[in-house]
Amino acid sequence: MNLHEIDVAVIGSGPAGMAAAVRAKETGAKNVVILERAEELGGLLHQCVHNGFGLFYFHEDLTGPEYAHRFIEKTMDAGVRPMLETMALNISPDREITAVSNKNQFLKFRPESIVLAMGCRERSRGALNIPGTRPAGVFTAGTAQRFINVEGFLPGRQVVILGSGDIGMIMARRLTLEGARVEAVVEVLPYVGGLIRNEVQCLHDFDIPLFLKHTVTNIYGERRVEGVRVAEVDSRMNPIGGTERDIACDTLLLSVGLIPENELSLTAGVELDPVTGGPFVDGARQTTVPGIFAGGNVVHVHDLVDNVTWESEIAGESAARFAMGERIPAWAGIKLKAGRNIRYVVPHTISGNEDVTLYMRVREPEQNVRINVGDIAGKSELIVKPSSMLKIELTSEQLKKLGKNVTEVVIDCQKWGGK
Amino acid sequence: MPEGDHSAFGELNMKLDTEVLIIGGGILGTSVARELSRYRVDTTLVEREVDFGWGSTKASATVVCQGGDCLEFRKEYRNSRFVWDSIPLMEPLCRELDVPFKRIGSLSLIRNNNELVKYQKMKNLADKYLPDLEPHQWIDRDTLRRIEPHLTRDVIGALYDPKPAVTDPVRLSIALAENARENGTNIMLGTEVVSISRGTDSFEVQTTEGLIRTRFIVNAAGVYVDKIAAMVDADEFVVYPVKAWIGVLDKKVGDIIRHVVTARPSRPGELIFVNPTVHGNIFFGIPLQLNKRGDYSSTRRMSQAGFATIRSLVPDVSEKDIINSFAGYIMYRNYELGWHECVVAASRKIPRFINFCIGFPGVSAAPAASKEVIRLLSSEGLQTVEKESFKASGRAIPDFSEASDEEKKKLIQKDSRYGHVVCRCETVTEGEIVEAIKRGATTMDGVKYRTRAGMGRCQGGFCSPRVARILARELNVPEEQVTKKGKTSRLLLYKSKELLEGAVNEPA
Ligand SMILES: Cc1cc2nc3c(=O)[nH]c(=O)nc-3n(C[C@H](O)[C@H](O)[C@H](O)COP(=O)(O)OP(=O)(O)OC[C@H]3O[C@@H](n4cnc5c(N)ncnc54)[C@H](O)[C@@H]3O)c2cc1C
Repeated sequence: MNLHEIDVAVIGSGPAGMAAAVRAKETGAKNVVILERAEELGGLLHQCVHNGFGLFYFHEDLTGPEYAHRFIEKTMDAGVRPMLETMALNISPDREITAVSNKNQFLKFRPESIVLAMGCRERSRGALNIPGTRPAGVFTAGTAQRFINVEGFLPGRQVVILGSGDIGMIMARRLTLEGARVEAVVEVLPYVGGLIRNEVQCLHDFDIPLFLKHTVTNIYGERRVEGVRVAEVDSRMNPIGGTERDIACDTLLLSVGLIPENELSLTAGVELDPVTGGPFVDGARQTTVPGIFAGGNVVHVHDLVDNVTWESEIAGESAARFAMGERIPAWAGIKLKAGRNIRYVVPHTISGNEDVTLYMRVREPEQNVRINVGDIAGKSELIVKPSSMLKIELTSEQLKKLGKNVTEVVIDCQKWGGK
Repeated sequence: MPEGDHSAFGELNMKLDTEVLIIGGGILGTSVARELSRYRVDTTLVEREVDFGWGSTKASATVVCQGGDCLEFRKEYRNSRFVWDSIPLMEPLCRELDVPFKRIGSLSLIRNNNELVKYQKMKNLADKYLPDLEPHQWIDRDTLRRIEPHLTRDVIGALYDPKPAVTDPVRLSIALAENARENGTNIMLGTEVVSISRGTDSFEVQTTEGLIRTRFIVNAAGVYVDKIAAMVDADEFVVYPVKAWIGVLDKKVGDIIRHVVTARPSRPGELIFVNPTVHGNIFFGIPLQLNKRGDYSSTRRMSQAGFATIRSLVPDVSEKDIINSFAGYIMYRNYELGWHECVVAASRKIPRFINFCIGFPGVSAAPAASKEVIRLLSSEGLQTVEKESFKASGRAIPDFSEASDEEKKKLIQKDSRYGHVVCRCETVTEGEIVEAIKRGATTMDGVKYRTRAGMGRCQGGFCSPRVARILARELNVPEEQVTKKGKTSRLLLYKSKELLEGAVNEPA
C-alpha cells in the first residue's frame, strides 16, 4: 500500500483503534492503517491480565489479552495494515501526519481521514502535588501493572495504594497474589472511585483495608520509599490535624485518575472539552476539525472496554464515509447540555435524525434518580456514581419529538418525584 | 554495577595522587574543573552522587545573566561582582559546550508608585554599574499587556531588562565535566569525602572509594561546604541552609509567560519568580524557609505559598497545570544579608584550601567566580601553565524533539534507534537514551536529566519500564539493579513470583 493512497489512518491500536479500523474497512474504506508506537497491536489490554472484558460485546468473560487477541484477528482478517513501532509526532489541521519509526523511518502523509484513538494516561504524583521526598518506589498503578504483568518485576513487597480507581484496586489484588502485602488503599472521597465489582472482588475478597476520606500527606525515604503518612480529610478535603498515622511501606502506587491523551489532537487544532479532557465530538464522533474523528478513552475515560469498542466503531464508520467522499457537516446539529448533577455528556452534539447512544457521568453520587433527556426520554436509576458511566439510547423516533427548531437539549439527573 | 565511574581506582581502597582535588560536582565544582583543565594541572573531581548537578544545581530556576536588579545586587557584595562579570561570559560558554541557552529578558512588575520610585533608583544604579551592557527599558501598561497578555492587570508597568536568559544548569554541569574530562581531568562519581587530614604540604582525603593525596583542595560541596571545611578547621565562615521550593507547569501552558517575571519582594531577599524554561515548561516560586539541611521534601505550606505567588502574577494559572515541584537549598552566608553574600576565598588558616560556595545565584555567577578560584589557587602557589592541547568545545546529545524534519530524517538514517520514541511526552528516542548512557548516565535520573525522558506531563509513567530495560541492557546488569538515583534507590525490588517462591533476598 502506497502511503499516499491511505484512506483512513487510525492513531493507536488499543481496543478503540482496532474497533475503528475494522469498522472503517467494513464500511468500505479501501486502505486503512493503524499507527502504533509499540511492537504489537493491543495497547494497554496486554497488561490487563485480569478478566471482566467483553461481557457485553462478546457476552463472554475475557481477560485483557484475550480481548485484544480477538480484535487483533479481526483487524488482520479485515485487511487493515498495522504500522508498528511508528509514532505520530504531529498532525496538521489539513490532516498531514508526521511520524517516525525505526522501520519505516521518517514519514509524512495525508490520509483522507483520521481517527484519534490514543487512549489516556494516568495522573502522576506531580499533578497531585503530594508533599514529601522523591525516592524510588512511587509508581502509577498502570506502570506497576506493566512492570509486573509484562516486564516480570515486582516493584516492592509492602505497598500503600493512593486512590481507589479500577487499576489501583485491580493492582491491590494482583500484588496480594504476587505475595506482596497491601497495607492500605487510601481514597480521599467518601466512596470508592472504581467499579463496585472491583471493590468487592479485589479489596473485600482479599481483606485489604480501605480508608475512605483519607489521603497521603507525606512520603518518607531519601532513596527508596520507607513509609507514608496518612490522614483523614474534612469535607473540603483538607487533612484533619490529629488523625495522622504513619504506615511503613517500600512502594506507593497512585491510582488517582486518568487523563485523555490529546497532545497530538492539539497539534491538529482539535478543540478540547475542559471537562472531559477530550475533543468535542458530534454524533458521528467527528471533532471540530473536519475529517478528524475520535473514539474511546481519548474522548472521555470509560470504565468498560465494551463501550470503548462501540464508540470507536462509530468513529471508524464515519471516517470511512468521509474518506469515500461523504461530507459530514462539521460539528453541527443539536447541542447536548449537561444539566443538574450531570458532569458531561458525550457526544456533545447530535444530528437528531439517527439513533444515538448518549454516554454521561454524574457529579455526585445519588439514589433514586431519573435521568431526563429534555422531555423526550428518561431512565430511572437506583444509584448513580461518578465512577459508573451512564448510557441512554435514543431512537430516531424519539428524537423526532424534539421538533424542527430545537438547538439544545438539557440532560438532567432528577431526584424521584422532583421535576 | 551502575554505581558511577570507579575506573580511576581500578580497585577499591587504592591510593591516588593529585595536585588539585575539587570536592563537589555541582555547577561550581564542574566550572572550576573545566577552567582548570585549560592548564597543565593534575586535577581530580569527586562527587558523592553518581552524576553531576544533583545538589542545589538541579533545583535552580535556570535563570542566568541576572544582576540587573541593582537594588538586590549591590556593589558592596562580592557576589554581585561575579554575577555581573558572568553576564557576557554565559552565552559564549553555552554555545561552546552546546548547552541550551535562550535570552528572554526579564520584567520587573511595577505595582504602585512606591515601587516606581524604587525602580527608578534601580535603573540609575544599573546604568552606572553596568554601562557596557544593554540598558533597562520602561514598559508601559499597554505594551506589557501585549507582550505578556496573561499577567495580572494590577500593574502600572514594568522595567524590562534585556539581559537575563535561561539555560539548563544540570546539562551545563554535565557538559563542563565532560569537557574537563576530555581535557584530562580525573572525574570520580559516587565518591564521597568522609574525612581530611593535613600533612605539611599536602592533604590526605579519605573517600568512600579510597584515599586521595592532594596539594590543593577546592571545596565546592554546596550544601555541605561548611562540613567539608570543618574537616580541616577551614570553616571560618557560617552558612545557613534555606530551603527553597519551585513548582513546574505543563508545557501545554508553556507560553503563558514569555519573560522572567519578578515582583518586588515584600521582604528583602525574598524571591518572586515566574519564568519559562529552555524546555518549554514554566517554573515558579520561590518560597523560602530556614530548614535543617538534607530534607528535600516539599511541604504543603511551601506549595501553597508557591501557588499563591504565581496566582498573584498570572491569575489564570490552574492548579491542574502543575506537573511537578521540587525543593533545594540556598546557602546564606549571613542570615541578615540573605543570599546576597557568598564564600569564594582561600582559607585564612589553612593554606592551599579554597572554599567555594554561592547560595544564589550560583549558576549565573559560575563563569566569573570559577575564574576567580583559579586566581586564588595560583596565589596559594599553584603553577598555572596553559595547555596547548586544550579543546574548548563540546557537543550535546542530539535533541530529536527540537530537530528539524531534515535533521530528524538524517538521525534516523544514521541510527534507526532515533526512530524509536521511548518517552512520548517529551519525544525522546532510544537513540538519545543510548547515547546518554554511553556518555555516563547510569540511573533513571541520569537519563532523565540528559535527555528529559520522564520529565514530561506523565512523569515517567509510560517510559520508565522502557528506560529501565534500556539501562539494564546497555549497562549489562539485571534490571532489578537499575536505580532511580544511585545507591539504594532501586526501582524494582523483586522479580514477579519471587516472593511466592520463598527465596527472598532483603533489598540492599
Ligand atoms: C530553588 C532554587 C532556585 C534557584 N534558582 C537559581 C537561578 O535561577 N539562577 C541561579 O543562578 N541560581 C539559582 N539558584 C542557586 C543555584 O542553584 C546555586 O547557587 C548553585 O547551584 C550552587 O552550586 P554548587 O555547585 O555550589 O552546589 P551543588 O549543586 O549543591 O553542588 C555541590 C555538590 O557537592 C557534592 N558533595 C557534597 N558533599 C560531598 C562530599 N562529602 N563528597 C563529595 N561530594 C560532595 C554534592 O553531592 C553536590 O553535587 C537556585 C537555588 C535554589 C535552591
